[in-house]
Amino acid sequence: MSHSQLDMLIQMANQIADNNTHHGSDAAAAHYVATHLHKFWARSMKQQIIGYHDDDGNRLTPVARLAVRQLASGES
Amino acid sequence: MLQHFDPNKDYGTPARLSETLVTLEIDGSEISVPEGTSVLRAAALADINIPKLCASDNLDAFGSCRLCAVRIDGRRGYPASCTTPVAEGMRVTTQDSKLAKLRRNIMELYISDHPLDCLTCPANGDCELQDMAGAVGLREVRYGFDGENHLEAEQDHSNPYFSFDPSKCILCSRCVRACDEVQGTFALTIDGRGFDSQVSPGQNAAFMDSECVSCGACVQACPTATLMEKSVIDKGQPEHSVITTCAYCGVGCSFKAEMKGDEVIRMVPYKGGDANHGHSCVKGRFAFGYATHKDRIKQPMIRDSIDQPWREVGWEEAIAFAAQRLKAVQAEHGRESIGGITSSRCTNEETYLVQKLVRAAFGNNNTDTCARVCHSPTGYGLKLTLGESAGTQTFDSVMQADTIIVIGANPTDAHPVFGSQMRRRLREGAQLIVIDPRRIDLLKTPHLKDAQHLALRPGTNVALVNALAHVVIDEGLEDTQFIAERCDTQAYQAWRDFISDQRHAPERVESITGVPAEAVRRAARSYAKAANGAIYYGLGVTEHSQGSTMVIGIANLAMATGNLGREGVGVNPLRGQNNVQGSCDMGSFPHELPGYQHVADAAVRGRFERAWGVALDDEPGLRIPNMFDAAIAGTFKALYVQGEDIAQSDPNTQHVEAALRSLECLIVQDIFLNETAKFAHVLLPGSTFLEKNGTFTNAERRINRVRKVMAPLAGKEDWEVTVALSNALGYPMDYRHPSEIMDEIARLTPTFSGVDYDKLERLGSIQWPCDERHPDGTPTMHVEDFPIGRGHFAITEYLATEERTNGRFPLLLTTGRILSQYNVGAQTRRTHNQVWHDEDVLEVHPHDAEVRGISDGDWLGISSRSGQTVLRARISERMLAGVVYTTFHHPGSGANVITTDSSDWATNCPEYKVTAVQVEKVSQPSAWQRHFHAFDELQQRLLEGHIQQPAPEAGAQR
Repeated sequence: MSHSQLDMLIQMANQIADNNTHHGSDAAAAHYVATHLHKFWARSMKQQIIGYHDDDGNRLTPVARLAVRQLASGES
Repeated sequence: MLQHFDPNKDYGTPARLSETLVTLEIDGSEISVPEGTSVLRAAALADINIPKLCASDNLDAFGSCRLCAVRIDGRRGYPASCTTPVAEGMRVTTQDSKLAKLRRNIMELYISDHPLDCLTCPANGDCELQDMAGAVGLREVRYGFDGENHLEAEQDHSNPYFSFDPSKCILCSRCVRACDEVQGTFALTIDGRGFDSQVSPGQNAAFMDSECVSCGACVQACPTATLMEKSVIDKGQPEHSVITTCAYCGVGCSFKAEMKGDEVIRMVPYKGGDANHGHSCVKGRFAFGYATHKDRIKQPMIRDSIDQPWREVGWEEAIAFAAQRLKAVQAEHGRESIGGITSSRCTNEETYLVQKLVRAAFGNNNTDTCARVCHSPTGYGLKLTLGESAGTQTFDSVMQADTIIVIGANPTDAHPVFGSQMRRRLREGAQLIVIDPRRIDLLKTPHLKDAQHLALRPGTNVALVNALAHVVIDEGLEDTQFIAERCDTQAYQAWRDFISDQRHAPERVESITGVPAEAVRRAARSYAKAANGAIYYGLGVTEHSQGSTMVIGIANLAMATGNLGREGVGVNPLRGQNNVQGSCDMGSFPHELPGYQHVADAAVRGRFERAWGVALDDEPGLRIPNMFDAAIAGTFKALYVQGEDIAQSDPNTQHVEAALRSLECLIVQDIFLNETAKFAHVLLPGSTFLEKNGTFTNAERRINRVRKVMAPLAGKEDWEVTVALSNALGYPMDYRHPSEIMDEIARLTPTFSGVDYDKLERLGSIQWPCDERHPDGTPTMHVEDFPIGRGHFAITEYLATEERTNGRFPLLLTTGRILSQYNVGAQTRRTHNQVWHDEDVLEVHPHDAEVRGISDGDWLGISSRSGQTVLRARISERMLAGVVYTTFHHPGSGANVITTDSSDWATNCPEYKVTAVQVEKVSQPSAWQRHFHAFDELQQRLLEGHIQQPAPEAGAQR
């Protein structure tokens, strides 16, 4: 069974967000998630998840979506 | 090498540690030794060699042979010097006519029941009995040889590596005591009484039918040819030796490779080895034959597509072909379309070069390592909390531990030499707490004083570690002084508020973990109240969707109880492969340069850019699973893999295979045609650890020398191949010896700044950090402070994995290793270790077997959300009901066809330990297995050149 690259990136971003909901607020959690993505994800992965966020983004959890927005704006 | 003792000398009895020195006189020479030292050892330290047979300095004194008798002024008789401790003012005489006669009489008795075949005996030249006969001046045996004797005693050749010839046994019990005291298996005994006494594995069983684990301790201990390596029997005594480091697990044992010319006759564990102190396991001791196995790849090979036969070429052509392919891919698909994978089996220097090749010659950071699939969460979790991606202790530290927690690790199988050391400490009375779904063999340690087994459900580690920490806080067991002095108090307070919440109470968590609350409370008390509490963990911690969270939870627990920064405590990841620690240290991860320095740090990057003369990318590269996804998506086109078999070891095999088939260029550098190489276009012969120079870094951060004992079969050491590829790509590398690579590593890696080969020669080994503050290395970390200043408590909220059971997949599969095989088995499957494990089986709890009508030996189809495979059933009570278990040592088993893409949230380390499956009886292999065997057969034929090269056609498989 195989999965698409984007499916996996969405799943990963959501999983990172789900594991970081303890930072007080969604904004604080998103900042942590965005920092994680900035620090550990490859350029191409960041571009894809930002592209997905800009095109649709519905499958991202609220924290993950906020984090990708921060990543795109360079706030991480 | 600098040693506190001569590792090539046997001092008769073990060293004693005491601040108090005792002065005595031996044969007129005055000597001061630690209190408790035996007279035999004191004499040996004074270079006075008292004859001995039953004594050895890795065994407690036994006093049976009486050959070491001495005369002590003021004492009656002739006491055995091995069992007599020194005393202040003692005057000892080791040689006089009376003692000489006594010793000759003893030897006479021994020899009267011993074959007089010295000239044809395999121990000829290496026999202590022979030596002692000479030492005591034995000239005749007055008893004759016609009396009752044991000369016709039945031999046992059942073990593939050594023989047992009881006719040569002198009943010194060294083998029995080595099995007890050194190995801790207690497989041997002296059976019978008086003249009928004989060494016996188990209850008169053959070695292969006994509890023997073939560690070789008995063979090493034997002073005669009773227990003897078959390789020595076949080929004779070795004539020279080289000290090197084992290439199996993360213990990193030192061995003397004993040679005849360029042939290894035997590997003998080196007493001067700081990790193993002269002990070994069946893999390191005996399973080295793969190095000269007929399957070794000895010639570079290339092909245009994977359905073509391999074409043997010279090194120059193969390297040029690989470089041209890589350049062409980058020209067409971009700089980031290629990458490389370093190996945890190769040396530090080789790993360093591969990541340098990727970053400097490929021009991107698409480098990763197999540590991705094992201990990447250790790097993340320990760096976040303690500030360094490494275990905190020496192995010897366990001998100071009072409570030992082992989580998700199986040391007696996967780290056997350390497992034996841990068993020694447990026999001394340390408490053991095992947190594992399986009942591991450590719990069956003979003479174990106190053991607790928290058999939790797979996937609930974080819930359990939170519950343990909750008890520590709830019952006021935290070390407030350590926390106040050493930890970030704000982070601690936040964590304390979090962990104090009643949702973490053992009584609330019991329904999640399946572990009774009182058992959790008892374990927490045992750990927190112990003078020294130590935690050891393995892949049962890291290979989960919350692997990193669990590592953080372990570090939190250690900090909360003050169990850091001294001997006997600590957080200790047990690394699976020989150089997992080193491969991580050397900058294999895509976001970190050597020494865990992030690529986005401009100052760090600047230092590397100046040293390497090239601009470096400031963005992390792709991790291995990201490379696979990108390959299938068509954006990642070429991969250089050194010493790693991702097709067998990585999860979701069908996904991995699809990724490998998608590549336009796969370059595999390996010693065999492994599963990954079957998808390759370039096959570069690798070299075994016996064929190269370099260093490995073991699980205790110990950098150990690897020394070449034989020439590389294909002409090049692995580092030389990477150098050649880099030069062909236009990025010049110029090293004449791995020591020069280490010098470069030291210049660029702060924690290695004091490391060089000369120092390694002097000290034997070095535990990093080795720098100006710690010029001889750092055995125990975090003694005064943490690299991040203060320890950082981090929140560890438990989240259930998404890989859950349901009606379709009602069981949980967890995977692991066994003693005799190593990782994907590429090495051990090509040795006699096959006799212990020639297939992977599925262990099923009796309850699960009964409801499915499964009997031992049935063929079982195992299905998961990823795929299906078929294995033979073994009914076992080692797991909980609802949990099944298998190993992944044989490629055709397809264990990783079943495992899924679920991975650790922080690092993408696969969740090997939790896969929801269904199991049912079947009658034939799975579709994947049928395909595997057909593909394997094809690739073997292509390797042997049995297929004519087909005419090129459109759409041919890449």
